[in-house]
Amino acid sequence: MSLLRYTLRRIAQAIPVLIGIVTITFFLANQIPGDPVDIMLGPTPAQEQVEAIRAQYGLDRPIHERYLTYLAGVATGDLGLSIYYDRPVLEMILLRLPVTLLLMLSAFAFAIVTAIPLGVISAKRRNEPADHVSRIVSLIGVSTPSFWIGLVLIIVFAFHLGWFPARGLVLPWENPADVRGAATQFEVIRQSVHHLFLPMIGLGTLQMAQITRIERSSMVDSLQGEYVKLARAYGVPESTIVRKHAFQVAQLPVITIIGLGLSTALGGAVLTETVFEIQGMGRLIITAINNQDYQLIMGTTLVFGFVYVIGVIITDITYSYLDPRVTYGDD
Amino acid sequence: MSINSATSDDDTPDGDDESGGGPGEVEARVGLRYTLKQVRQDTTARIGTYIVGFITFVAAFAAFDYYVLDYAIAEALLYNPEADPQNVRRLLPPVGLENQFGQGVIEHPLGTDHRGRDILSRTIYGTRIAMTVGFLATAIGLGGGTVIGAVSGYYGGWIDDVLQRVTETIYAIPFLVLVIAFMTAFGRDLTFAMIGVGITAVPVFNRLIRSRVVSIREEDYVEAARAAGVKDRNIIFRHIIPNSFAPVLVQATLQVGVSILIVAGLSFLGFGAQPPTPSWGQMLSASRGYMLPAPTFSIFPGIAILITVIGFNILGDGLQDALDPRINN
Amino acid sequence: MSEPLLSVRDLKTQFFTEDGTVRAVDGISFDVHEGEIVGLVGESGAGKSVATSSILRLVDSPGEIVGGEIEFKGETIFGLEEGDDGELRPRDQMLTETEMRKRIRGREIAIIFQDPMESLNPVFTIGGQLREFIEINRDLDAGEAKQEAIDMLREVGIPAPESRYDEYPHQFSGGMRQRVLIAMALACQPDLIIADEPTTALDVTVEGEILEMVKDLQEKYDTSFIWVTHDMSVVAEICDRVNVMYLGEIIEQAEVDDLFYDTKHPYTSALLDSMPRPDETLDELRPIQGVMPEAIDPPAGCRFHSRCPEAREVCREVHPEPRDLSEAGEAPHTAACVKHDAFDVGYDESPPIETRATGGFSAGFTETGGEAE
Repeated sequence: MSLLRYTLRRIAQAIPVLIGIVTITFFLANQIPGDPVDIMLGPTPAQEQVEAIRAQYGLDRPIHERYLTYLAGVATGDLGLSIYYDRPVLEMILLRLPVTLLLMLSAFAFAIVTAIPLGVISAKRRNEPADHVSRIVSLIGVSTPSFWIGLVLIIVFAFHLGWFPARGLVLPWENPADVRGAATQFEVIRQSVHHLFLPMIGLGTLQMAQITRIERSSMVDSLQGEYVKLARAYGVPESTIVRKHAFQVAQLPVITIIGLGLSTALGGAVLTETVFEIQGMGRLIITAINNQDYQLIMGTTLVFGFVYVIGVIITDITYSYLDPRVTYGDD
Repeated sequence: MSINSATSDDDTPDGDDESGGGPGEVEARVGLRYTLKQVRQDTTARIGTYIVGFITFVAAFAAFDYYVLDYAIAEALLYNPEADPQNVRRLLPPVGLENQFGQGVIEHPLGTDHRGRDILSRTIYGTRIAMTVGFLATAIGLGGGTVIGAVSGYYGGWIDDVLQRVTETIYAIPFLVLVIAFMTAFGRDLTFAMIGVGITAVPVFNRLIRSRVVSIREEDYVEAARAAGVKDRNIIFRHIIPNSFAPVLVQATLQVGVSILIVAGLSFLGFGAQPPTPSWGQMLSASRGYMLPAPTFSIFPGIAILITVIGFNILGDGLQDALDPRINN
Repeated sequence: MSEPLLSVRDLKTQFFTEDGTVRAVDGISFDVHEGEIVGLVGESGAGKSVATSSILRLVDSPGEIVGGEIEFKGETIFGLEEGDDGELRPRDQMLTETEMRKRIRGREIAIIFQDPMESLNPVFTIGGQLREFIEINRDLDAGEAKQEAIDMLREVGIPAPESRYDEYPHQFSGGMRQRVLIAMALACQPDLIIADEPTTALDVTVEGEILEMVKDLQEKYDTSFIWVTHDMSVVAEICDRVNVMYLGEIIEQAEVDDLFYDTKHPYTSALLDSMPRPDETLDELRPIQGVMPEAIDPPAGCRFHSRCPEAREVCREVHPEPRDLSEAGEAPHTAACVKHDAFDVGYDESPPIETRATGGFSAGFTETGGEAE
């Protein structure tokens, strides 16, 4: 089976999971106490006004009917109306999603770029000082709350040293006219990088630490592999063995961990956006909850789920691309 | 869909040693006595035990003072602003340092918060919350995951399919978001934080137990028990689950740390412990407004989380090394 | 006989573990001449694999070669000398690590490992791996190396080598993978191939095919082999000369026919007896009694005495060095057992030791031993 068909099959397999996400989200949102209409109209609304609003948002119909309507809506890309923002939910999400994706991508880029060399060096120099340092760093990394790292980074690098801004984010593709102090697109990008730096480290540290740990143990295993002994016995230089023979096999578990780390990182994004006051998906869901904005809560939750599922599909495909043993047939 | 087991069957990265060793090893590596012996021999596991022991002691002290003595010890040792509202000193730095609100004093070794409460005592009381939440959330995840995993793995077939699809779906929502949505629906206090975090841990234990059950199910002694007419439920609970002791213990230890981290994050966002309950996440949340004038306010609760979670992680790693037949260090 | 291709003298390799020093290889000497297949036989744990990795100087930490000499085609692979300060240090002629890697490993001495499932890298194609090693060791460019790889795959009996060149190891059966590993070794055109139990993991019919093929190819290319195995029937099939190892020592060394028909060491007899034969039923099979002791603390005296059916008190005390027991004009045949007159340590007068091995099976063993004398 080709990679394309494998991809399509993976996506097809994801559909029940996606429906499951919609279902869980819908029924959780329906459990929310209080009525959004009360919040909109204040404590003493006129009865006919309430009913008009309820009808407008479909709240007067029975729950199973609303569920099916919602499911059909999701299938056609209609996530309903946000009561709080008074705009379509999808529009709000499309506005905020790029921010969160940018944050996630940069965090993972930071994590991968630092963790892989760290893990490889650690494995290669097992039980030497470099290994101990790298293990302690990664142990601290997996044990530190990401939001606290954010707070410490702000205190040190924004408030004390003044090297980076403490809050907000500029998107690299924003129009220079809309960005203060930027005349050209290049300056917008420069500002974007400047803003992104601290949140990226705050969000990426946990991933970095986790990838370092798995990279180390995976490389340790791989370096003890028979195929590595064989390469040594055939005169392959040690540097080639580490970079090629041992390395490529060792990346398979790393890819799995990156896929699973997406879940943690998406949760971490909510915290990081709070710490750095970045208007992304994380802030959107918190705003939605604080304002009992049903449709927006459902929309954001399920988009979080969708993003994770897509991320896992991408890592699955990457894995199958790198590991010839994964058959594209049945599991 | 392979949300759960995102890849090919070999190379399990997180070391849940489903393939680790034959039945002989599995049987030999069970039991509390064996575990304790191994832990005593493993340096890492020992250090982890010391840290976790220390944290547990602090938490027990706080619980004792809270439930039995009604803060008597804390009040004797540390300054309570409510006792003397006229004389509240807010946002003091730790002793020996100085900030715009004044000089650190010995009565508040780590300084005071925005209401003049002592940071050290609140950090100590936060330990009680963190440990309670960490253990209970893990227990919920462990209980739920064990039952689902055991039933699913033992019976297979459609029961397995249904249960696995459901846990996969739960796993497919980033867990912090899931817990937030869950708490929005049912309640924003600590109890629901604990339950919510416990639910997110269910798939972790489910996966672990299920894979072990599937591999043990075919073993001779289980076959023999079944042939001898032992009830399925008894086979699961008397034979299969005890045999999964080591990996479950490792995973549960790590999960306590993870749960503490998540609950701290939830409290930071305003979900979980509500003021004035002293929880670390909520202290950090409050400190956000004072990062510029009183940065030390933000430091100590974070360090407390860090030490606690490191303790569980070291203990988990140590247990893994001590109990894993394939030690590679 | 001409100068040997490989000469190993008093080689000692030890592992420094937390529990103590493991004397995995403890003073072995043997030669390999051009065009010969030399067997290295013994139970697992006897030190065979450590011996072969010592020859390539690829002993894994915490192991280390601590003494002895290895000469290959006049070059010193390993050799120590006493420095001015009285400390042992590597001799000046000893090849450096870089020289070992560039000139010896693969190019002059190639190796075939035991486990064909694990020896090939799962994420690279068969052809890619073969080509890489050929390029490194043959000074060929990529195109020539690929052609050579395909030719070699054909040579070892892999059908449709052009198309299989681009396949991955998991698409090959165990026997096919072992053929690939043999092709790999031959393609580098070394003078010596070390085959470390290459057929152990395979089933018997495949083993037979591969042994046949190796014999043919060995004649064709005139490559020397060190054939490591625990299986006496493989030895009989393929080897010219045999070294029998027990607990880090070579205890008997002879041409293959002499070893089988004029066995001089009780351990070798026991190995031969433990071999299933078509004229015996399963009940008659005689496994060697007991288990091999730990190399960390080998028994004093003869290391085999604890399991030897012919052991006597003297065996506990005297450690026999191997001696040539052949008659004048015969091929050399060395053995390290004091029961032979050449040792003259009073074996005949010494009382027998009660061991497990001298129990139930002693009669049979003594008879065989008696005949050999």
